[in-house]
Amino acid sequence: MNWAETIVKSLKDAEVSLIAYVPDVSIHQVTRLMEEDDYFYVVSATREEEAIGIATGAYARGRNAAVFMQSSGFGNCVNALASLCLPARVPIPMFINLRGEVGEFNIAQVAMGRATRPILDVLGIQHYTLDTDDRLDLRVSGALKLCYASRQPLALCLTPLLHGGKLA
Amino acid sequence: MHRFSATQRLLTLVGDLPVVANLGPTTDELWHAGHRDRNFYTYGSMGLCSSIALGMALSSDEKVISLDGDGSLLMNMGTIATIGRESPKNLIVIVWDNEQWAQTGYQSSHTAFGTDLAQVAKSCDIPKTATVLDEEELESAVLQALREDGPWFIVAKIEEEEYLPVAPIEPEVTLHRFRTSFGV
Repeated sequence: MNWAETIVKSLKDAEVSLIAYVPDVSIHQVTRLMEEDDYFYVVSATREEEAIGIATGAYARGRNAAVFMQSSGFGNCVNALASLCLPARVPIPMFINLRGEVGEFNIAQVAMGRATRPILDVLGIQHYTLDTDDRLDLRVSGALKLCYASRQPLALCLTPLLHGGKLA
Repeated sequence: MHRFSATQRLLTLVGDLPVVANLGPTTDELWHAGHRDRNFYTYGSMGLCSSIALGMALSSDEKVISLDGDGSLLMNMGTIATIGRESPKNLIVIVWDNEQWAQTGYQSSHTAFGTDLAQVAKSCDIPKTATVLDEEELESAVLQALREDGPWFIVAKIEEEEYLPVAPIEPEVTLHRFRTSFGV
């Protein structure tokens, strides 16, 4: 299995069946697989905080839901996490493509990419960086288990070293 | 039409269906009108009320009611487009439209200057819309929305009145109570 297939399998194993996302060319390698798989219901959101709201509603109704976005969009959903998911304890696994890493070509992506993990830290949201496919299944499935055990949102930050990044 | 009285009337129509409430007075008044396990109160995350209801509607078959507000929905108008794209048959959005951000000092909102959220919904491929001016019209629209497939988008024009006390509720308890009411 490649890295994207490993993430898909881990989500299935954790019974995460609704995916809300805002498109990103690197995470498209994962969302494309899920759109082709009847196990998943994939919702295209117009903005990342909307995706957090949709995922929260799904979880409230008993369906596990994950959110896919890139780091620029993480900046669009900080208040949704702070004022909805943290006080209500909504476990949402977030897969964030970390821009501004090695190989970045766009200066506009650098600051938000660098700020993503410190913002997660300030919010008290646990996060793990995936930059290799070494034991990726254990990292992803372990993070999902932790997310639902703690009943808090959790972030998995994907870097170009894992997925190859975006070329200009 | 006043929101609290209309909310009381609404609760007589919806049985045990889930109701999601926008932050502030909409949540407080839903609690005062009739606290129930399937009320999903929100306390922040302005703009996400109907997005939360959409996530519920995509995860179940029963009708889901969103009690949103004009100021909040203006902050997240993209979710109207997502509702149109997903077109869940079981979603009913009710927008309490007072044409202002009342809680922050009664500043006029864009709906006071010609923005018609029902027309926005129509243009987002949500054909079943209504704009209602009194409780009788609201009841009639809601009963139809409960009978017929949606999604429904009902704009309820309201006038502000004095606020009720803040409801004594905890977000974590709200979520737990809501989930367990469905046996989750």
